[in-house]
Amino acid sequence: MTATATQAAPATSFVDRVRGVRVASWATAALLVVAVVAAIALQPNLLTPYGVASTFATFLPLVLVAVAQAIVVIGGGLDLSAGAIVALSSVVAVQTMRGEDGLLLVGVAAAVATGVACGLVNGLVVSRLRLQPLIATFASASIFSGLALLVLPTPGGTVPAVLTGTFRQAIATVPMSVLLVVAVVLGWLVLRRTRVLRHIRATGGDPAASYASLVPVQSSQLASYVLSGAICGLAGLAVLGNAGSGDPFIGGDLALNSVAAVVVGGIALRGGIGSPIGAIAGAIILALSSTILFSIGLPTSWRALAAGVVVILALALSALGAPRRRR
Amino acid sequence: MTTTSPLVRLSGVHKRYGGVQALRDASLTAAGGEVHGLLGPNGSGKSTLGKVLAGSVRPDAAEIALAGEPVRIGSPRAAARLGIAAVYQQLSLVPDLSVGHNLVLGSEPGRLGFLSDRAAARRVAPMLERLAPALGDVRFDDAVRDLAPGQQQIVEIGKALLRQPRVLILDEATASLHRDQVALVFEIVRELREGGATILFVSHRLDEITELCDRATILRSGVTVAETSVPDTTPDEIVRLMVGDVQAVEREHGDVPDGPVRLRVRGLAGGALRGVDLDARGGEIVGLGGLQGQGQSELLLALFGATHATGEVEVDGEPVRLASPRTAASRGIALVPGDRGTQGTLPARPIQENLAIASIAGRSRVGVLSSRRERAAAQSMVDALAIKIGSLADPISSLSGGNAQKVVFGKWLLTEPSVVLLDDPTKGVDVGAKAEIYRIVRSLADQGATVIINSSEDRELVTVCDRVLVLFEGAVRATLVGDEITEERLVQAALRIGEGDQGAPAGEDAA
Amino acid sequence: MTRVVAILKDPVVVAALIAVLLIAIGGILRPGFASPDQIVDMLRVASFLGIIAIGQTIVVLSGGEGIDLSVGTVATLGAILASRTMAGDDALIVPGVLLALGVAALIGLANGLGIVLLRIPPFVMTLGMLGVVGGLILVVTGGRADGRAAPALVSLVNGRDVLGLPGILLVWIVLGVVVTLVLRRTVFGARLYAIGTSREAARLSGVPVRRVTVSAYVLSSLFAALGGIAMVGYSQQVFLNLADDLTLPSIAAVVIGGTLVAGGVGGYLGSAVGAIVLTVLTSLLTTLAMPEWARIVVQGVVLIALLAVYGRQRRLRS
Repeated sequence: MTATATQAAPATSFVDRVRGVRVASWATAALLVVAVVAAIALQPNLLTPYGVASTFATFLPLVLVAVAQAIVVIGGGLDLSAGAIVALSSVVAVQTMRGEDGLLLVGVAAAVATGVACGLVNGLVVSRLRLQPLIATFASASIFSGLALLVLPTPGGTVPAVLTGTFRQAIATVPMSVLLVVAVVLGWLVLRRTRVLRHIRATGGDPAASYASLVPVQSSQLASYVLSGAICGLAGLAVLGNAGSGDPFIGGDLALNSVAAVVVGGIALRGGIGSPIGAIAGAIILALSSTILFSIGLPTSWRALAAGVVVILALALSALGAPRRRR
Repeated sequence: MTTTSPLVRLSGVHKRYGGVQALRDASLTAAGGEVHGLLGPNGSGKSTLGKVLAGSVRPDAAEIALAGEPVRIGSPRAAARLGIAAVYQQLSLVPDLSVGHNLVLGSEPGRLGFLSDRAAARRVAPMLERLAPALGDVRFDDAVRDLAPGQQQIVEIGKALLRQPRVLILDEATASLHRDQVALVFEIVRELREGGATILFVSHRLDEITELCDRATILRSGVTVAETSVPDTTPDEIVRLMVGDVQAVEREHGDVPDGPVRLRVRGLAGGALRGVDLDARGGEIVGLGGLQGQGQSELLLALFGATHATGEVEVDGEPVRLASPRTAASRGIALVPGDRGTQGTLPARPIQENLAIASIAGRSRVGVLSSRRERAAAQSMVDALAIKIGSLADPISSLSGGNAQKVVFGKWLLTEPSVVLLDDPTKGVDVGAKAEIYRIVRSLADQGATVIINSSEDRELVTVCDRVLVLFEGAVRATLVGDEITEERLVQAALRIGEGDQGAPAGEDAA
Repeated sequence: MTRVVAILKDPVVVAALIAVLLIAIGGILRPGFASPDQIVDMLRVASFLGIIAIGQTIVVLSGGEGIDLSVGTVATLGAILASRTMAGDDALIVPGVLLALGVAALIGLANGLGIVLLRIPPFVMTLGMLGVVGGLILVVTGGRADGRAAPALVSLVNGRDVLGLPGILLVWIVLGVVVTLVLRRTVFGARLYAIGTSREAARLSGVPVRRVTVSAYVLSSLFAALGGIAMVGYSQQVFLNLADDLTLPSIAAVVIGGTLVAGGVGGYLGSAVGAIVLTVLTSLLTTLAMPEWARIVVQGVVLIALLAVYGRQRRLRS
């Protein structure tokens, strides 16, 4: 029996494993290619080592938050407080590190711990109090940004040189920022093999069926928020690495943009479907489209509007492409 | 293993849903190594009894013993620990996960929180191979979403089998399967029986029962009425046991109407419907019979423009576009839908609003309502239908099932409809209110309306209908007129109608 | 007795009692906080939020996860368009207001159509619209907000011309009464509650679900713009983020007022009282010299706590 079993085990073949990764839907992939080609055509210096490094560095926070949002959305939830969590973790990290290189690890731990704590609040409120995630996380966003103001009332503070420096480094000519994005992808490939993530996906896909299949639905919801909070904490560090100083207001657009990245990345807002890798692609598409808007010489005052319209169009396209469901 | 006590014994099972007693003192005894049929007409409580054993329905009272040991089964988890697995017609599969991941969901192999797809594949592979004759070339990584309904049902059965249950409940689990698939399921069931397990088999298909079951428990209105050895009982006897001593039901018939055809339907198709033809005259009450889920509700929803369907529909000779409930209502069509809670009523809203909502525009002046006129209209229906309410301002959720249903009737009577579609109008309604609703239906017909009624109770069709169309797989397969309409004929027609064409691959086509 | 209990359980009554309690606490802690003058002033400030909350109430009542996250920026845009048009001139008030309302109506229409036709979830659509409107503001202003409210508008909000009260209070009361009548005494109101309770049941009762949904979002943007215009009468000068922070409070006001987040149950009176509660709470925290962060945190905590209370209530009922 064992012999035939191993032979018939389809998941072990290399081709199948690659197919299982499923980068994103074809639409997302196509959009990504178009965005990359257009951006490079309009701004050729994007391809220089410096261009790549700095572009990826600016992408990194949104990439991370998009992954965080993707995990919550796949689990059937939603996190409108993601931006506020990023802001709070970054200012907490700034205040713990006090610009000293030696405290870098403490700062990293503080940022992640802050993110986890915020995620725990969201997760408990959603899974135990059973509040609608939308309004609950909108409200918790207010709490987290208030606390960010407490920790750092005005933009400032010094980020340890080692953190900002790491961001500008390159290993074997590959810029650190690129490596970090790759690391995020690899991190996901590890995470997706865990029981927790399988259960998160099952819960988001069909809570009733999951319950009937003995999946711990509530704990899975909680776990999705905690995990997402931790990743937002990392995003907070990425923000610091980019900016070189702390800013309690930094998270403003991140919640919207992460939701948009998730939708563009082919993840259904009803849960269960999609992969954070799609969200990463979505984040890069959105970030590149603002690069594109910069390079076509749009007047400064029009850029925000154009970016907003791009988001709406992206949402509309994804909505049109999605299969219609009854209800 | 020689044990004197049966493997499964349920006794004194009571379960009440709101005003309806689904089970009263039901019981069931099944031995290990036995395939035990659970039979009964629509709504007799057989599914509920199965779910009590599976832990997904909490009974009001029940004694359950497994192999002589009294047990409490408070959740599906508890049932699983006791080795009880259940397969229903509604699936517990997560469509977005792969076949393999669904098969091991909730019991994934792995270490330190990391899953091993290799181990899962090893565990699943023999099962996929065993099921291959019914499943076809379905692999570990295929998405459940992409499978045909029949294949999904097979995966669901495989998921239960992987738990190696000693009690397996199959509740209509073969309904979406075609003949070859059913044959494999039967083969597996027989293997389980050889292994000493008890299989509880709930099915509407009489031929499946006679082919597979050793013994059967027969339920009627929530009571166990018989336990019988299947090989020693003829199918006709089983039908008689299900229907009971047929007391002549009092039929409330008017004169057979002979006016012009009011509702004419040709080739109505879409969703579960496969070309329905129907003619009904004014003043006529036409019933839709057959097993549940053969397209009766879909037919009514399609006629009301609530689901997408193609075909010709005429009311009084004029074609009707099946665009939306709004257009249907404007042509004098009304629907009392099957799910009162989610489709018929606005639960938190006052009774008055629930009565008014369908006819509200007609009573307004430039969009403004007169509270006097609204109240008068609502009150007129409360009086006419003898709806027992405290105040018109009370939420409709404060009413009993029967009175809430009368409000739904009243809502549509205010639009003075000429075609009235009723989808199981007395579901969850007590006996007294049932009789009143029958009177309302009859008086509607007497005033010249055409009534089409679907019912989950054959007795109801016998009571009110002038004519009954028996549906099977989305089409009209038989018609009973006048005195032909008896419970026995209805059950026979419903159970026997599919036998001739079991070869049709129902599972695949229904997609 | 049971009747008294029932009244005391009514969220509107509870909210009103909370408002009174907060004012009393303020009066004890800081003499003068509960003076009539001070109370009128708080009501005046509450009116902006109250007017914006009209639209939010309608959208939440319409159900289907209805919510409008763009009201804050739409209010800001309305204030900017109106104040730039009137530029301190009374004669231009009407064109200014009409322009603001016209643009707001288009924004609401876009929200509604996106939700109904493209089936984008309301929060995503209106969140996206928030970005668009924010961009629109930059385009209109070029980054400099230089509109000024006309004197008549300023005196409507800041004067005490009507029986010694600010005219804006009268406007708020009239709007509140009209909205309440529309909700209770018109076909639109009945249909709004119907779709909010159950889209499916409403559809099967012949209600034009899509049309009513779109109307709800149009009305939401209209009232947001009106609230923004009132606010610029208060501040006289317009700012680029004048009313942006009022979105969360507008939702909180609706929730405090007892309107079910799921839709179909509630009314405007509760939201109006909710707006008062939030304004009094903010004033109290300010009076007590609470820093800004604490005020923001308290807002979030209050909303979650109230959701928890009312959420639980709903579960018991079903």
